Amino acid sequence: MELVDKIIKGERAAIAKAITLVESSKDSDQQISRQLISELIKKPGKSIRVGFSGPPGVGKSTFIESFGSYLVSQNYKLGILAIDPSSQITGGSILGDKTRMVEISKNPNTFIRSTPSRGTLGGISMGTREASIILDAAGYDFIFIETVGVGQSEIVASNLVDIFTLIVGPGSGDELQGIKKGITEYADIFIVNKNDGELKMEASKTAADYKSALSYYKKLDELEKQVLLVSAIEQTGMEDVIKTINQIIDQNKLKGIFDERRADQLEYWIEEEVKNIIASDITNRLTSKGNIPKYSEKVMKNEMSMYEAVETITKDTLKQ
Amino acid sequence: MTNKSNNGFNTWQKSFEKETKKNFSDAISETDEGINIKPVYTKDDMENFSFVEKYSLPGQWPYTRGPKASMYTNRPWTIRQYAGFSTAEESNEFYKKNLESGQKGLSVAFDLPTHRGYDSDDDLVMGDVGKAGVAIDTVEDMKILFNNIPLDQMSVSMTMNGAVLPVLASFIVAGEEQGVDRSLLSGTIQNDILKEFMVRNTYIYPPEPSMKIVADIIEFTSKEMPKFNSISISGYHMQEAGADNVLELAYTLADGMEYVRAAMSKGLDVDDFAPRLSFFFAIGTDFFMEIAKLRAARTLWAKIMKDFGAKNERSLILRTHCQTSGVSLTEKDPYNNIIRTSYEALSAILGGTQSLHTNSFDEAIALPTDESARIARNTQLILQNETGVTKTVDPLAGSFFVENLTEELSKKAWDIITEIEGLGGMTKAVKAGIPKLKIEESATKKQAKVDSGSRVVVGVNKYKNPKEPSVDVRVIDNNRVRDDQIKKIQAIKESRDTTAVKKALANLTNAAKDETNLLVPCIEAIKLRATVGEVSKALEQVYGRHFAKSLSVSGVYGKHFEGDKEFMKVESKIKEFENVNGRRPRVLVVKMGQDGHDRGAKIVATSFADMGFDVDMGPLFQSPKDVAKDAIENDVHAIGVSTLAAGHKTLVPELMKGLKEIDPKSKIVVFVGGIIPEQDYEFLYENNVSAIFGPGSNIIESAEKVIDLISDNLSKE
Ligand code: B12
Ligand SMILES: Nc1nc2c(ncn2[C@@H]2O[C@H](COP(=O)(O)OP(=O)(O)OP(=O)(O)O)[C@@H](O)[C@H]2O)c(=O)[nH]1
Ligand SMILES: [Mg+2]
Repeated sequence: MELVDKIIKGERAAIAKAITLVESSKDSDQQISRQLISELIKKPGKSIRVGFSGPPGVGKSTFIESFGSYLVSQNYKLGILAIDPSSQITGGSILGDKTRMVEISKNPNTFIRSTPSRGTLGGISMGTREASIILDAAGYDFIFIETVGVGQSEIVASNLVDIFTLIVGPGSGDELQGIKKGITEYADIFIVNKNDGELKMEASKTAADYKSALSYYKKLDELEKQVLLVSAIEQTGMEDVIKTINQIIDQNKLKGIFDERRADQLEYWIEEEVKNIIASDITNRLTSKGNIPKYSEKVMKNEMSMYEAVETITKDTLKQ
Repeated sequence: MTNKSNNGFNTWQKSFEKETKKNFSDAISETDEGINIKPVYTKDDMENFSFVEKYSLPGQWPYTRGPKASMYTNRPWTIRQYAGFSTAEESNEFYKKNLESGQKGLSVAFDLPTHRGYDSDDDLVMGDVGKAGVAIDTVEDMKILFNNIPLDQMSVSMTMNGAVLPVLASFIVAGEEQGVDRSLLSGTIQNDILKEFMVRNTYIYPPEPSMKIVADIIEFTSKEMPKFNSISISGYHMQEAGADNVLELAYTLADGMEYVRAAMSKGLDVDDFAPRLSFFFAIGTDFFMEIAKLRAARTLWAKIMKDFGAKNERSLILRTHCQTSGVSLTEKDPYNNIIRTSYEALSAILGGTQSLHTNSFDEAIALPTDESARIARNTQLILQNETGVTKTVDPLAGSFFVENLTEELSKKAWDIITEIEGLGGMTKAVKAGIPKLKIEESATKKQAKVDSGSRVVVGVNKYKNPKEPSVDVRVIDNNRVRDDQIKKIQAIKESRDTTAVKKALANLTNAAKDETNLLVPCIEAIKLRATVGEVSKALEQVYGRHFAKSLSVSGVYGKHFEGDKEFMKVESKIKEFENVNGRRPRVLVVKMGQDGHDRGAKIVATSFADMGFDVDMGPLFQSPKDVAKDAIENDVHAIGVSTLAAGHKTLVPELMKGLKEIDPKSKIVVFVGGIIPEQDYEFLYENNVSAIFGPGSNIIESAEKVIDLISDNLSKE
């Protein structure tokens, strides 16, 4: 495919068009997209994929601007996929992330793409995984994925990356109870942002709270989870972040965890794709047979029970 | 209410209802401010006031009726026209002509590079030099600007906020080199940074150091420049950006409180500086509301200053400049603007302003020509000389309606002020972006009203002129101005004492690290011929440059059009587009260069999103090259350039070049909105611009055209 060569050469417009294809809801685009991704997977780059998640307004974009500037100043090439939460259900979206990434967006060694989340589960949009494969093939050293942390999203997002980072704000230590055990399994690094000005004390306290909570949940064979203090605005703590990322990556590679994760993620991906195909197939069958309206009418008229209806429809739908 | 008057009122109400075939309650209308306007007011509407004192006198507490006892009966307001363009030489000529024709005070409009602390030779300002104001790079330019204008006699107002230090320093040094001691300089420096972060967008440094600079200037002038107003606390820009009158009033006074605190934190006594605080309001088309606003502003400020412990009566008194509203003026049928401006001017006068700028009828087209500026000035001369309005002080006092409106506005504004104070004051609110968002919400509502026709704008959405007149425009050759300025900068850099300049700049940088009053080292550097850009950079080294994070309103425009046919038509076109193309139409809305007019861009972005577009919102001050990268990486279907500060002929071709550089086959549609004189349409079309949307464009119609253009373009592939 011509597009593949162009992506590998790092042509900006080709990368962008390819991401459009993988995000497209059109069947014909999806077909090309599958071909494209199959080709690209054969030519993997060396990217490290890092996820940044956290509550709205905690400073994810500002942090990426700050941390990203630091990385590009060290000559790394940086791809950013920002899943913009500002989507509405009825209308379109305003994608404003770039107003917070002014400096890095100018840099020729960055590629920044915003995508409306469209209210999909976990704030991860359709095509994010594929988009990161494209950026990987295009030679980016790091791929950042920014998602808003609400509910399930951490879990979905953590399935797309090699390192998953949770960004929190000063004072959020109080909510630790709410964070519960789950998150410690998904996040590799905890970053307490806004460690500046009046907020400094609070930020340190929050970091301490996280540390103690994390040590409580730590499994025996696990590495100590890192809690880092940064200020995105004052650009402090950035060296620690990259050092920690590199450390974790190195250790994970050494212990085989890195590949293990990627293998798990592949499994998960395959499972997801299969489920998707089956689900859409079932949906199609359901609509074409028109069983649901037909049987619910019967239920309404007390001709059969709701569960009888479900059973009948299921059987009829799964029948080849 | 006595029985007798009650009976009288009941009879009136019956007659009213009979004449109008309406219930009295249905005849009450709501203003943008959420104030109910009744078809009639009576003496009962003058009761239970908590702000207005019914029978107060002009020049007396609470100063509702004016800062002075005699007002215009003694001396009329100052005719102060805001102007500046191109080089200092040309602006100086223009000023001198105006003064000969009856203008009384000067008001300098600087160009955007100067505002933002860049020299004319900076790459970042290619399209902006001399375009929307006069370019000042060094004290030499400042001296030329006031050539043959004696600064000990002429009061000079300067709209400068971001680069306030080097510019005020240049003014002081220019005075000194003219032989005028700084203590004799009279006039005003705007020096109001908070509203820059909200709406005007010519900030340079982050809020905290910026507030420190404001306080430095208040301190310096209070000690050394007794005739100079240290600040012009401005609501004008808020209204122009879309604020209703309550928001304008409340935010302005809340800003004022913040400046008072900043000055007091330097150890100044409130009475040392408060008499030199001045204000600036916009006067829009809502005739009585604007009058009431000025009266309410004075009333509230007196109360606020008393609470600050002011003892000097002059500290309690709000003095203000006013400008008629530019945003009420239209590109279509532009002579109507003369009429609008006249009414607005009358409103300002009846409200008791101390000085006034009246806009030219070509406001929505370009900077004024000599001719349009003359008519604008004459509007005031006629008011002063022919109408008799100067003969009586505060002639509307005692009007049931106006007094009631004054009270209502005061109350509503006070509620907002109290709320902001509760949150910790305006600096905090501004940093959180709340006031900006509220103003944008208000602006979006106004746009929806005009686009839906529920608000009539003569010549725009009703009573259109079938034969639009074509008018002359002032054309500024920014490349020529830029070349001239660069030559001047070079000559100065060659002749000055470079080591001394370097040392002075280093001093300034050091001073920024502690509490030193920065104007002092700044004056030293400027004297040695450091440039405005160099001084700004010396401070930037310590403070950094501020980038605004922009928030966006959403749903406000769409809500107004629920069930509207035209709106739904665009929505369904977008759905269809998505079905065909696998995604929604995606448009990048951008501001390029130093143009900080973001009202239109923000409104268009939020309205388009409400209709179903995916809209990428670029940050302010993007270079064309950055826009191209952004557009291509996000694979947008179209770029909508919003341009109001006349940089389009430089910036748009640069954008086209930038797109082709990254992707020679780029098919991105480019369209342009904002202030584009008709004379430039051809040029833009030749540069592959697909459509132009000028002032007054209906956004729903524009959206439909955009989606059609995008679809056409895709079908060509
Ligand atoms: C409001 C205003 C301001 C406000 C701006 C507030 C803000 N945050 O936006 C304030 C008071 C702060 C301001 C300041 C200045 N202003 Co001013 N301002 C105006 C004014 C009166 C109205 C502009 C406006 O907002 N209109 C309302 C919006 C909704 O309309 P619009 O932007 O035109 O958008 C509509 C269409 O054009 C179109 N459109 C626009 N963009 C886009 C984009 C897309 C994608 C689409 C589809 C459509 C579209 O659709 C919109 C809806 O109808 C104009 C004159 C005028 N009447 O137009 C002067 C004007 C633009 N200003 C001018 C100047 C000079 C300045 C200053 C530079 C003065 C100075 N020297 O200090 C400053 C600096 C500001 C800065 N940082 O850049 C000049 C520019 C001169 C020129 N072009 O030759 C003008 C033309 C006035 C004049 N004749 O002198 N200004
Ligand atoms: N004091 C302080 N404020 C910060 C810091 N980083 C970000 N902020 C502020 O926090 C607010 C939100 O920042 P963003 O970067 O937009 O946050 P976000 O998490 O990307 O937000 P969403 O994408 O909307 O979820 C802004 O007002 C920032 O200025 C920091 O390090 N210190
Ligand atoms: Mg963000």
